[in-house]
Amino acid sequence: MRLPDGVALHARPAGLFVRTAAGFKSRITVAAGEKRSDAKSILGVLALGAEGGTTLVLTAEGEDAGLAVAALTACVGAFAE
Amino acid sequence: MRRPSAAPPSVEPALHCAEVQGLVGIVLVSRSDRLARGLADLAGQVAGPDVRIEAVGAAGERVAAAIARADAGAGVVVLADVEAALDAAREAVGRSAGDAVRLADAPLVEGAVAAAVTAATGQPLDAVAAAAEEAHDVGKR
Repeated sequence: MRLPDGVALHARPAGLFVRTAAGFKSRITVAAGEKRSDAKSILGVLALGAEGGTTLVLTAEGEDAGLAVAALTACVGAFAE
Repeated sequence: MRRPSAAPPSVEPALHCAEVQGLVGIVLVSRSDRLARGLADLAGQVAGPDVRIEAVGAAGERVAAAIARADAGAGVVVLADVEAALDAAREAVGRSAGDAVRLADAPLVEGAVAAAVTAATGQPLDAVAAAAEEAHDVGKR
């Protein structure tokens, strides 16, 4: 998944991302380049410093993993709207 | 302000993923009024509009009033920086009845952001306070 151009995963988008992740039971990690974070940790996600256009790699393990990845992908896609 | 559930998705794409009520409130107490207000603004941007975040300078009675304003029925986490602000926060939390008001042992800025986002997800007081305190463990190098 790629962050839309011009939308960094900073304050407000990062908050939306983490709040969406928190709604799932699965363990979810998000990686940007060599950095990775628990997708439910706002401080971890902010520390990724992911700028617009960055490729994010989501990994989810658990009963709702598929739903979680779909929701987070939709969430990031909606940042550009 | 809350949208009716039938309203179409609008500018907050994830809010319908995380519909919650009775959120834990946050009180930020700083030696600097401006620091507290700026931090409340930042934490509010990250956490969204549903969490009550109150910012005050270091005066005991103002902290108590801010705790009352922040309380939406799920408890309040108080974060403070140093000196008189911390004293005022300790005093106000100590005077508040019961367990529903906590002084977080956390760095003010990172703790406030972590607590506000956790509160926005509808998690209980223990989890919000713990999120603030985990900010100690996030490295910067």
